Amino acid sequence: MKAERSEYRVVIVGAGVIGLYTAHHLARRGAGPILIVDRGFLSSGASGRNGGGVRQQWQTRATIRLARESVAAYRRFARDFGYNPWFRQSGYLFLAEDAAALERLGPVHELVRSEGLSSEWVDAAGVARHVPGIRPGAAVGGTYLGSDGTLYPFPVVWGLHDALRAAGVEILHGIEALGVERDGGRVRALQTSRGRIATPTVVNAAGGWSREFSERCGLAVANRATRHEILATEPLKPFLDPMVVRASDGLYFSQTMRGEIVGGLSPLADPTGSIAMSSSAGFLGRMARALVDLLPGLASVGVLRAWSGLYDDTPDGLPIVGEDPALSGFVHANGFGGHGMMLAPSSTERVARLVLGERIDLDPAEFGPGRFASTGSGRPTEALQLG
Amino acid sequence: MNRTPADPRTSGDDARPPPRPPGLPIGQRSIRYHRPRAPFCGIGYCTNCLVRTDARLNVRACREGYPVDGVRPTSHAWPSPRWDLFAVFDGLFPHGIDTLRGFRRPAILVRAYQRVVRRLAGYATPRVATARAPAPPTQRRACEVLVIGQGTAGRAVADELRRRGVDPVMTVDRDRRRSEGAASPDLGRATAVFLPPPDPAQPHPLRCYVARDVGGLVEIASRRVVVATGGYDASLLFAGNDRPGVVTADGAVSLASAGFSPFSHAIVFGDGPRARDVLARFPREIAAIVAPNEIGPDLVAIAADRGIPLYPRSLLVRAEGRRGVRRVALRARGGGPLMTLEADGVVLAHRRIPHPQLFFQCGARMRWDPRPGAYRPVTDPTGATTVPGVYAVGFARESAVPSDAEGGARRTAEAIAAGAPPPGPEPLAPAEPLDPPHPLLGYYRELLAELGGREKWIACPCEDVLLSEIVEANERGYRGIEVVKRYTGLGTGLCQGRYCLPDALLILSILEGRPPSRVGYITQRPPVVPTRLADLAGIPGPEEGPS
Repeated sequence: MKAERSEYRVVIVGAGVIGLYTAHHLARRGAGPILIVDRGFLSSGASGRNGGGVRQQWQTRATIRLARESVAAYRRFARDFGYNPWFRQSGYLFLAEDAAALERLGPVHELVRSEGLSSEWVDAAGVARHVPGIRPGAAVGGTYLGSDGTLYPFPVVWGLHDALRAAGVEILHGIEALGVERDGGRVRALQTSRGRIATPTVVNAAGGWSREFSERCGLAVANRATRHEILATEPLKPFLDPMVVRASDGLYFSQTMRGEIVGGLSPLADPTGSIAMSSSAGFLGRMARALVDLLPGLASVGVLRAWSGLYDDTPDGLPIVGEDPALSGFVHANGFGGHGMMLAPSSTERVARLVLGERIDLDPAEFGPGRFASTGSGRPTEALQLG
Repeated sequence: MNRTPADPRTSGDDARPPPRPPGLPIGQRSIRYHRPRAPFCGIGYCTNCLVRTDARLNVRACREGYPVDGVRPTSHAWPSPRWDLFAVFDGLFPHGIDTLRGFRRPAILVRAYQRVVRRLAGYATPRVATARAPAPPTQRRACEVLVIGQGTAGRAVADELRRRGVDPVMTVDRDRRRSEGAASPDLGRATAVFLPPPDPAQPHPLRCYVARDVGGLVEIASRRVVVATGGYDASLLFAGNDRPGVVTADGAVSLASAGFSPFSHAIVFGDGPRARDVLARFPREIAAIVAPNEIGPDLVAIAADRGIPLYPRSLLVRAEGRRGVRRVALRARGGGPLMTLEADGVVLAHRRIPHPQLFFQCGARMRWDPRPGAYRPVTDPTGATTVPGVYAVGFARESAVPSDAEGGARRTAEAIAAGAPPPGPEPLAPAEPLDPPHPLLGYYRELLAELGGREKWIACPCEDVLLSEIVEANERGYRGIEVVKRYTGLGTGLCQGRYCLPDALLILSILEGRPPSRVGYITQRPPVVPTRLADLAGIPGPEEGPS
């Protein structure tokens, strides 16, 4: 496949949920022509590898607001796009294994409530109602927000893909973005493995590969990809409604519409920094221990498969949304750190407005790519790196 | 090659259970359309004979021994797998249920749809246990050479290694009979589920995780691993291909070994050595031989001797019958009228596929082998793969008659015993890609013209994915098996693509107009077979703590 034109209004690097949604917002505003290039196949990156959680419990106000808008968008998704992501608002349960962990949930709970969301404290008995079969003593309590939920990532990708093609957006796969051609401090063209594509605007929405692409463009960035693993069990009859998460070890799991238990765990520090998307015996052992310890009844349940994907992490846990301070026309929409699917509908709307030169309501000190240069303490952070 | 799974209650061929009346043992309903299912593969991979015991969910009756007292079919049927009210979905949706675009209108009903669909999904509820069950710690063993699979080639390698003084040699096998006396010490029936890439920093760079049937995982560290996992009989696409009575050659032989007469007048589909095996095993029960191509002279002679009619160069279009196969519809290739044969079984003996999972897991370079239409590792003459220390022997390496498999296995053993350093990743010449068309490509091209009747063509039996859904994905512009898998759910069920993938690659090759080797492959993820969380929990690892 080859691009139909030699020049585009916007070229987006990465056809994951961030890139596709950005193109959707741009196309709706009549910006065109738009091209999306991707090095792999559709859904080959994190958009096809995540656990499908969508939560609104965050440590910063701006993220809670973005997440609320995203939940509203996913509620409408089936109507808007004709594809059913099976978005199920069956809640997120933050587990606390002891009193100290429970206390740490307090500030988030307060902040979430102050934003008008009905986060509830749950005691040990309440946890047992939400998670039937939990080992007594495994949790002293937690917080629960019933309007959080889970979805199937794939229909989101297909729905956006169909809508974009209908809107005349070009999407090309198997193309590697190699860098940008500059005209002074401005983007003039994207260089790809299939040649040069002229454009005044490049959006870096390459997820786990976005650092690599930024560096190829000569830009210093703070995000870094880390490999996370995940597994799925045999399908079981429904017994678990909410997504269950535990901050201490990053454990998260839910039961999908098909009945599988799907979940993961924060990775241990990997000195090699490998981002090969392979599976490890160590993860299978740690995850199985965590699940069986929490839900002993799962002991006899078989694991069907394990896989891995990349989190595009930033030092403060917040995404990078904004134009690069060193290169005009180069817009960052990355650093989502495993939360791209959760925040895509709303945050990409800001990306689209930035591309069109409009003002946005995200504070550059909180989301801008230049924020890491300043050593200012007291900047907000999101430490909850959870599914 | 491993063909016949053992009945665990017997120790050898002579101690067969007494014969049972004809018929198939355990009723089962398919996951989405509640179609009646009966044992298909007979070797512990397909979804059709799931049962639960007191201790475990979703085990296969074909491996536990059919029918087991106190064992219930794992089923979401109501009131029973035999009489299942949910089977109305099959009739109500002759062209399938569209879960991608359906169930979203009116918006007020969406939550109700979700509740119903969720209720219908899944196989069984885990037993509620509130106490922490002691997880069996992973046993650790170390050896010089681990041989996985104890068929003809695996046994030949292990025997030759021991004869040459290589020590210790460990063997594992999914089929207990072949492990007896060979394993040191005997692990019983055990399946190699995960072979990660080697860690050259370790004295034993290879670490293979083996799940024992009795429970518990064994981590076997070794300097070499010889993979002799053989192959299995492939599925076939036609209308009603999931009817009870449609079995693989493996399944037919396995059922007969367990004392069943799965059919009284079946057709055999295939013209090769597997078809001869089936004829030898079922001297009176074969009513016809159907083959996609011409039938060879030796099979013609056997058929003439027994008065079995032959249908060479024929399309198997449809299997009919409400609960099980009653009739089979054929059409001569190149066009012609539809013929109907009376039959109560269809034995698929046309194609044998090697198990590629362990090779993919450890990162071996693979090549498309057009003869079975499957991926095999690239090897040098000693069977060494591109992964240092990992060897392939027997059918896992090449399609050959068993005597060649033994010879090849001996050459591998010689190379290992001689202490030949494991070749690195580079010295092997890339064997890419001789791509003569697979014989079934032309067959399926003709057969696709028959698609579109009221009977479902099941492309992925574990997940009830229809062939028409693959065609639809193609029409929407989705290319390559990885995307089609994510779009349709093909290959994501309990067999992890064993039975749908070989045919899906050929179908996509036709639809996309490029060779099967260009359609790609589904990443083979661990474990090779579903492995209990309790077993995996024993894998030693860094102690976890707050991160």
